[in-house]
Amino acid sequence: MDTLLYLTRRIAQALVVILIVTVVVFGLLHALPGGPARGILGQQATPQQITLFNHDQGLDRPLPVQYLYYLRQLLHGDLGTSYTLNEAVSQLIEQRLPKTLVLTVLSAIIGLSLAIPLGMWQAVRRNKPADYVITTLSFVAYSTPVYFLGLVLVLVFTQVLRWFPSQAPQGDTVGQVFADPVALVLPVVTGAASMVAAFSRYMRAATLENLSEDYVRTARAGGSRQRAILFKHVFRNSLTPVIAMLGYYVPVLFGGALVVEQLFNYPGMGLLFWSAAQSSDYPVLLGCVLVISVATVVGSLLADIVQRVVDPRVKGGLV
Amino acid sequence: MSVQSARRWGLVAQFPAPLKARFARNKLAVAGLVVVALFFLFCFLGPVLYSTDQVHTDLTQVNLHPSGSHWLGTDAVGHDEVGRLMYGGKVSLLVGLAAGVLATVIGTLWGAVAGYAGGWIDAVMMRVVDAGIAIPALFILLVVSAITTPGVTGLIVILGLVSWLVPSRLVRAETLTLKSRDYVLTLRAIGGSHSRAITRHILPNSVSTIVVAATFQVADAILLVAYVSYLGLGVQPPSTDWGGMLSAGLTAAYSGRWWLIVPPGLAIILVVCAFNAVGDGLRDAFDVKGRG
Amino acid sequence: MNSILEIENLGVTFSTESGDVPAVRGVSLRVAAGETLALVGESGSGKSTVALAALGLLPGNARASGGVSVGGTDVVGAGEAELARLRGRTASMVFQEPATALDPLTRIGKQIAEVVRNHRDVSRREAAAEAVALLRRVGIPEPERRASAFPFQLSGGQRQRVVIAMAIANSPGLLVADEPTTALDVTVQAEILDLLRALAADSGTGVLLVTHNMGVVADFADRVAVMLEGEIVETGAVEEVLLRPTHEYTRRLLAAVPRLAVTGSGNGSVVREEVEGAPVVELRDVSVRFGRGPGAVRALEEVSLTVRAGETVGLVGESGSGKSTAARVALGLVAPESGGVSLFGADLRKARGRARRALLAGVGVVLQDPVASLDARMSVAECVAEPLRVHRRGMGAAERRERVAEVLELVRLPRELARRGPRELSGGQRQRVSLARALVLEPRLLVADEPTSALDVSVQQTVLEVISELQAELGFACLFVSHDLAVVQQFAGRVVVMRDGRVEEQGPTMSTLLHPETEYTRRLIAAVPIPDPVLQRERRKRRLALGTGAGA
Repeated sequence: MDTLLYLTRRIAQALVVILIVTVVVFGLLHALPGGPARGILGQQATPQQITLFNHDQGLDRPLPVQYLYYLRQLLHGDLGTSYTLNEAVSQLIEQRLPKTLVLTVLSAIIGLSLAIPLGMWQAVRRNKPADYVITTLSFVAYSTPVYFLGLVLVLVFTQVLRWFPSQAPQGDTVGQVFADPVALVLPVVTGAASMVAAFSRYMRAATLENLSEDYVRTARAGGSRQRAILFKHVFRNSLTPVIAMLGYYVPVLFGGALVVEQLFNYPGMGLLFWSAAQSSDYPVLLGCVLVISVATVVGSLLADIVQRVVDPRVKGGLV
Repeated sequence: MSVQSARRWGLVAQFPAPLKARFARNKLAVAGLVVVALFFLFCFLGPVLYSTDQVHTDLTQVNLHPSGSHWLGTDAVGHDEVGRLMYGGKVSLLVGLAAGVLATVIGTLWGAVAGYAGGWIDAVMMRVVDAGIAIPALFILLVVSAITTPGVTGLIVILGLVSWLVPSRLVRAETLTLKSRDYVLTLRAIGGSHSRAITRHILPNSVSTIVVAATFQVADAILLVAYVSYLGLGVQPPSTDWGGMLSAGLTAAYSGRWWLIVPPGLAIILVVCAFNAVGDGLRDAFDVKGRG
Repeated sequence: MNSILEIENLGVTFSTESGDVPAVRGVSLRVAAGETLALVGESGSGKSTVALAALGLLPGNARASGGVSVGGTDVVGAGEAELARLRGRTASMVFQEPATALDPLTRIGKQIAEVVRNHRDVSRREAAAEAVALLRRVGIPEPERRASAFPFQLSGGQRQRVVIAMAIANSPGLLVADEPTTALDVTVQAEILDLLRALAADSGTGVLLVTHNMGVVADFADRVAVMLEGEIVETGAVEEVLLRPTHEYTRRLLAAVPRLAVTGSGNGSVVREEVEGAPVVELRDVSVRFGRGPGAVRALEEVSLTVRAGETVGLVGESGSGKSTAARVALGLVAPESGGVSLFGADLRKARGRARRALLAGVGVVLQDPVASLDARMSVAECVAEPLRVHRRGMGAAERRERVAEVLELVRLPRELARRGPRELSGGQRQRVSLARALVLEPRLLVADEPTSALDVSVQQTVLEVISELQAELGFACLFVSHDLAVVQQFAGRVVVMRDGRVEEQGPTMSTLLHPETEYTRRLIAAVPIPDPVLQRERRKRRLALGTGAGA
């Protein structure tokens, strides 16, 4: 019952956020040169067509009415038609999104599985040389633009060492992407690097905070060894705030994908978005923004739910 | 060990060292401050001492290797790379600084109002922030850049408008804590006004949070403006910034002309690192929360 | 005699940013099997440091010298592995803060089993069964079910029982208890002390009890060592030290402890005559609810109370009883859901603007936390002058400065303090600055919410003295919120006892506290330990005979 109440409330909140996102995107749509009619009919539409369309679709009506109309379109999965590719935006995204997800999810998994032990290890070795070295490295990585890092990796590994191809796997389906795992290495590593930098910092801070908690002293007083305390107690307690951070990291991941895909010519949603930005293909741009925003909202919703499962206190409403 | 128990054991000095001393103890932060100062000198004073033509192309001087006359070589249209670094750095630093400050101002006002008002006003304002966080800043920036080609001022405003969300959350959290502090409650109980509570207690006590947020915000803004320019949608040629230089040097890099991308790339990393280090130092000196 | 703990010439130094700080110097003591030694002192005396040093639990920036021997093992020179074998088996510890002492994400049964398995080669299942048995021993109802609870699902008292279960899991010879009941309500404190006493007696465990509370010492200890500034100044049997102290500091300390009078004529000398003045503040059938929907909490339920001109009303109760909420309703900080509040005869809820300000100008407030009560960014003068800036806007700077100096002297602080920042002051000084701020407008009502509960007894005494002297001089009424019955008895003419958001009973302090009408008040009073070992022994026997207090 308690959980149900929480879920309804949290989902309602997420829906409100999505609604606000649609208002922003709707606003951008109306700020477009030519207005939404052009956005939907395409670049070549004549003024007559536009007037007719505007009347047919009620675009000469007041804005709130139009907004409702826009919402109805969205609910039907209609994101408009691409200017340049002459295809429904929803279809384009449907093709590209899975590939972007492959890239981001792989980067996230690899990044986290490195960052979490690294952060803990740093906390344990606090103020020792190893901590200083890694802290400085992650500090630099944290401040490095993803594309510069990618660029350096490309130059070193494809031009100088020639270990990897400079192009990411091409192909239309997820299966084809996995068919060429070697080509996937550099894009995933680039994506994972900033993740490692950010999350080893969070994990280090969380672990340090937990190491100074009273319960650690209680466990020591009960004769538990440092290692046992670390793995049985501190690890789980430090992980929960990091999971919460993960929800907010979804937009950063997509931002990273945008750059990585452009750099390695990986045919995902990021590349779609980038080329749309070059050619002012507004329907594609706004469609992508909408989809990514919804993904972010869903991501932080999931992170909250996971946190609730991991941390019993959240269920008790104490945190 | 909790702060309380530390205090109980007399471990916390009765008179905390002054802010400056606590900041100075953080060597990384001091180094950061020095780096920031040096870059400002380099970009704004450098052109006076080391004058180069960054407007006209010089086709006799293209793609030169680093040498005595051109320390970092020249680019594809004959601009001296050191001079270009100063020229582009002006834009990067100016836009980053202004956008970071603008974002902090917007975020502070929004967060302070939401936190102090509470109730449904707070709920609505924070859902707006959630929505803003859900729309990745980089994407919105590219959309806006696709609609109009912003000048420097436009870029500052747009960057400010997409990156005020994190400071607004921090300031809201701070306001929430401060408004239930005993001294604010005492003031309210004897009939003190809301405006007095805000101007005399809440804002002065949030200054440290705001300053720290602003520092990190500047670092983020410099990165963001570099991203936008790198993706070809920032300030337009012949003007440039470090991100734009990277973008222009991209193809050259594949043919071995490293000097066109390594210097601007390192410049971005150094400056962003420096601002982050200063932010870390200030945060520790002020003893405020915020950002891992 | 066989000592389980022997400390010889212990010294502990902390290296801090501002240099080395010696916390403990030349401390020697011993605890025999089966006996309880109480280590008492005020904050900063180093008593907790000694306790931690006994188990080698000092933080990383501490250096210990001298000898600490637990059951024959030298602790000062021991490595982590050796210490781990010792801790939880030969010696174990109970901490002050049950709220944070347990891992929030691990079920309590598992945490107890961990201590069992640290020292005994038993299977997981056997350890789990042992944990249930231990929970039963420390008086947790339905231990089989509770073993799978998380710490947040237990009350503070129950959590402390779990910590005790962990401590006794391997029948240690020495139990170090660092302020084990300080964070708990008195009735819970009595239960925990009974439990500790029973467990120690059962297994002949020696106990090192660290506490600031002389009542707890009288209730529990066989011998007492008094610490002052890192050194032991007096050691002896509990009757000797508490009843016939020889050291000057011990005498001062004991004199400052407020004692709950439990016998007498019902007409104590400290209590002023009952006043029949006009009501200054009045709560009528006030109910308060926090939150909305099914998660809402009822904080107050039809609470009525009155403070009349010139009188002091003590508002007492355990945590969660609603006493602070009631005070906040009186101040207009919390809006009641139903019921009426009148301040100086006017309805506070209806008053707006100028009229409201005029009403509130007659109120002074002192809250509990000496750190949070003053804005650290202001000087003492600015803090004290704030009410003047709100209500006497026409007042000139010179006049204001003069008034601030006057009030500072009123609360026995030197004028020179005005330029200082709150951070430079001690806790007691800060609370007096708060008091000065509360009195600067010469209020007709002072609301004090636990104004001394964060202070050491000797400092508390000074602050309380200042308040009552000024009250006699200025004649304000006072609503005094406290959890400490002894302080209220000394201070208030009338008392209101609260429980679970309701008024349990109210009346003149002496008659109410000596002859309580309700079972709850009787239990509350019986649970307060008094700093006289002989008397306290009697009280404990009577309390246990009544079958109240002991939860086990």
